[in-house]
Amino acid sequence: MLTPALRIASKDLRLSLRGAQGLAQTALLGLLLIFVFSLSRKPGDPVPALAAAAIFWLSSLFAQVLVFNGLYSLEENNGARLGLAMAPMPPQAVWLGKALAGITLLLVCQCVFALAVAAFLGQSVEGSPLVGVAAVVTVDVGLAALGSLMGALASGKSSRESLLTVVFFPLIIPVLLAGIRLLEGVLTAGEGASLDWLGMAAAFAAVFSAAAIVLFPHLYTGEE
Amino acid sequence: MLRLTSVAKFYGERLVFKGVDLELRPGRVLMVVGANGAGKSTLLRVMAGLSRPSAGELSCSLDKGQMAYLGHQTFIYPEDTALENLRFWTGLYGLGLGDEALEAALERVGLKKFSQERAGHFSRGMAQRLNLARVFCIAPRLLFLDEPDTGLDEASRAILHQEIERAGQGERSVVWVSHHLERDLAKADEVLHLDRGRVAYHGPVAGFDASVMAGASTC
Amino acid sequence: MISVLAVAAALALSVAQWFIWVYAPVEETMGVVQKIFYIHLPLAWWAMMSFLLVFAASVMVIWRKDQRWDRIAGAACEAGVLFSGLALITGSLWGKPIWNVWWTWDPRLTTTLIMWFVYAAYLILRQAGIGGERGAVVRAALGIVAFLDVPLVFYSARKWRSIHPTVFGQPGGGLEPEMLSALLVSIFAVGLFWAALVTLRSRQLTQTAALRNIFLHQTR
Repeated sequence: MLTPALRIASKDLRLSLRGAQGLAQTALLGLLLIFVFSLSRKPGDPVPALAAAAIFWLSSLFAQVLVFNGLYSLEENNGARLGLAMAPMPPQAVWLGKALAGITLLLVCQCVFALAVAAFLGQSVEGSPLVGVAAVVTVDVGLAALGSLMGALASGKSSRESLLTVVFFPLIIPVLLAGIRLLEGVLTAGEGASLDWLGMAAAFAAVFSAAAIVLFPHLYTGEE
Repeated sequence: MLRLTSVAKFYGERLVFKGVDLELRPGRVLMVVGANGAGKSTLLRVMAGLSRPSAGELSCSLDKGQMAYLGHQTFIYPEDTALENLRFWTGLYGLGLGDEALEAALERVGLKKFSQERAGHFSRGMAQRLNLARVFCIAPRLLFLDEPDTGLDEASRAILHQEIERAGQGERSVVWVSHHLERDLAKADEVLHLDRGRVAYHGPVAGFDASVMAGASTC
Repeated sequence: MISVLAVAAALALSVAQWFIWVYAPVEETMGVVQKIFYIHLPLAWWAMMSFLLVFAASVMVIWRKDQRWDRIAGAACEAGVLFSGLALITGSLWGKPIWNVWWTWDPRLTTTLIMWFVYAAYLILRQAGIGGERGAVVRAALGIVAFLDVPLVFYSARKWRSIHPTVFGQPGGGLEPEMLSALLVSIFAVGLFWAALVTLRSRQLTQTAALRNIFLHQTR
């Protein structure tokens, strides 16, 4: 399963980066969100770390939705979904491949967002940057696991990607809260970055990865 | 190599077809005919394992890797070059073909000098020939054709048909959905006629009265 | 079956009213406002049961590929969104005089609100005909994923809140025996009403599907 998943991931990354508009648009939208939020403060007023963390994850969430819509739409133009469904590999390889490609793209966007949060919202890392990276990656795994499953739900002729956002956002709330708390902890060197929240994010990733592995073969078929 | 026992397919409450029994033996070309919306493509997808039958049984002695599907959709990624497209698809089948083998496949469909071109710049005929090159590399034991020649120019269609005939030889089988009966029927061994969700005829080509399809063959 | 259930539900609800207003004593500190609790809790309880039923029926759709389960999931989800919406409103009406706020970050409240969002979205997606030919499976996947989220939402909401001091005590502890029996009667009565509603809606959905089927087969 890993080999075809890696093939799919590398193909998706190549296509996403070659077109590049997709990634640039995603990063720009997130940047814009952070910038607009910075306007809500008077110059010189410090932004609370909690608010900065929340806006970072909000940008990431929008980026995530765009990234996965883009990844799953690659197959829709010329019916390549049929080809993937016919290929001699477990269907979950598609889920895993797209999740890997998605998390890579998301991390690229988040590098930009992190700089923007530091610049526009005047944040600096007081805690351990290593914990910060671990926290962001763990939360991203959860986002990618569910995002890749949702992308498969939306694929097909009668897809309604915009509608799926409506269900995706409330579903993601547990891991979003975890991400905000963890990031706040890293920004302020406080106790927010506790193991509990990291465990919460890991549990979210585990639950939805398991759900995706069970459900994906039923969802990603040759039917329209 | 492929056997269907009283297979039925519903979409929700809507019946697409039911009571389909058939056995496909190696080296046979089976043509599936019927009016528009008779469920030909759906039957093909069920046979190819792309769509689960709602009832009945489907048994297949082949691996997924020994089957291939060629429909009117081209399966190409427009941002990739012809060679990259081919490398991706053959890679998924674990064929481990080098660039020379891929170039040779492109040569066969007359796309060799475009191997570094982005597939998005191709005409419909060229894209479909690239799709055909994918099928060559897979060299399937069982090939599913769903009106692959729709919207092709004459030259591309000629290449396509030449290769389809080659694919139907030896131990290799083809299941073919076609609208152009008067042209394609001669290439088939068996016919399965779907009419209003049921099998109206299934047997050798010789026994099939194509005139019952006269109205449909022109659409 | 439905009419029997409906009549039983009407009778039981009337009896429950008697238990609520006559049998159960008026709560000492909260006064008569506390009576809303006898409606609020059964609604919340049966809303959760609806979501559990959506989950169970969705599992059956994936497992058995039977359209009937898909319609039961749809009917249960409608009831769940209605009941949890009413539970949120009654809870809000209750909270205003007691806690002096319409809304507070309480894990149970937050979980109910988030689940209301998720299942309302599920209903919208159902209505929009998401998934096309794979519709039933896509809806079932949503129903399963949504229910898996419930414990995660509850736990994270509780954890989020825990660093702030607890301003409001949890209601519901230490009920008088009369209050408890009134509550149980009310839960039972609302349960009958719920069962009647879900049965009625799933039968309506079945009949709609059957009509569409007849129409489709006549026009082809």
